[in-house]
Amino acid sequence: MAAVVIRDPLAFAAIYDRYVALVYSASLRVLADVHEAEDVTQDVFVRLWRRPETFIAERGRFLSWLMSVARNRSVDELRSRGRRHRREALNGDTSDDDPATLVPADTDDPVLAAQLHEAQKLVRAALVGLPADQRRALELAYFGGFTQQEISAALHEPLGTVKTRIRLGMQKLRRALENRV
Amino acid sequence: MEAHISQEQADEYAIGALEPELERIVALHLADCTACRDIVHDSERLALSFSLSVPRRKPPRSLRARVFQSAGIARPSPWRRAWGYSRAAAGLAAVVVAIAAFTGMVSVRSQIDHLREDNRDLQGQVSRALSQEVEIAALTRRLSEAERSAFELDQATSDDRDLLVALLAPTTVVAEVVSVDEKSTSIGRLVWDEDQKRVWFVAASLQQRPAGETYQIWVSTGGRYVSLGTFNSDSQGFARYGARLPQGLKTYESALVTIERYGGAPERSGPSVFVSDLSRFRR
Repeated sequence: MAAVVIRDPLAFAAIYDRYVALVYSASLRVLADVHEAEDVTQDVFVRLWRRPETFIAERGRFLSWLMSVARNRSVDELRSRGRRHRREALNGDTSDDDPATLVPADTDDPVLAAQLHEAQKLVRAALVGLPADQRRALELAYFGGFTQQEISAALHEPLGTVKTRIRLGMQKLRRALENRV
Repeated sequence: MEAHISQEQADEYAIGALEPELERIVALHLADCTACRDIVHDSERLALSFSLSVPRRKPPRSLRARVFQSAGIARPSPWRRAWGYSRAAAGLAAVVVAIAAFTGMVSVRSQIDHLREDNRDLQGQVSRALSQEVEIAALTRRLSEAERSAFELDQATSDDRDLLVALLAPTTVVAEVVSVDEKSTSIGRLVWDEDQKRVWFVAASLQQRPAGETYQIWVSTGGRYVSLGTFNSDSQGFARYGARLPQGLKTYESALVTIERYGGAPERSGPSVFVSDLSRFRR
């Protein structure tokens, strides 16, 4: 990252190649639109190049920060569409889309790919282990950009119920992934 | 927001489930609260797992060019990338060489520092030794002066004792010495100790001779003057001089004190200061 800060194109290229699939995949998961996901991915990396100082190393890992930026930027884009489009998110994720675009685990950085593959397996197992209603509430919040009240309204569930589901879901996820991811 | 953020709020914030107003309040609080920031970071790491759970999809190849073009940087060519790797390797090699050189330099530098330190110590020792040598030389000089003073004092004491003994001896004769210059206030006595075969000349108010001059005392016998030796008065005008009587002389006619050049003269040549009639000392 220090090399990016001093505007080293090669360093930036290395970071792009290493993380672009993650950023693009997360954006696509939120936006469910490849073109918008590309736009968001482009925006995230261009911002990184132009304002690398927005990443503060003391405040956490680079990957966490980058994915947080990607998710927030995607959600902002999603919210800018309006409610009509956001309801599409209620229909579920896009994980079953064209398998031709799926990235094999052995591409890019082999070490990173192996680590991510392992983390992905653990996280998926943990998410699958959650009760469906808890997982649904968490995914609507994280990928759909819904607030608790919006989830409550969309699912026709009391706000307290939604809050409880989120709280319990996060607790279980934390216990399942503690010191493992 | 006065109270700290609970774990539940941190989780809701991390996954973006808070209402916009509350989210803004939490964000403001996090800007100033390190403890809460740590809690939220933990929640954000957990929320990251949602992103990791997403199947990874390959973006179109054209996206890379778009990103680099939009960022305003040329896409690094394979040659450029190779150059970058070469540069990185060269940089690594340079670092290794620099570390080695630095280590060597540090080692040499350390040796130089040690040598300089040793040199400083040696110079200090030499300086102290020279100082001690100078002090020793000064002490030696003072000791020599003290020894000479002690010897002179001892000699004077011995002379005084001999003079006293001579004065107490019944055979000793004391002759008055007369100043040749009538205006002179100098007075003198000649103490003649026949038993010890010694003679003393004692004077007071006798002007001290300047450098290059001395008083010389003579005795005349058979019309010739025999030197008994040279002396000088001190700064107080006092003079005491003792000498052995010349062997083989039986009669003395007179005694004479003259001013001669320093070291004495073989023959009387200078002006007379004192004169004494010794005819009655005849033996």
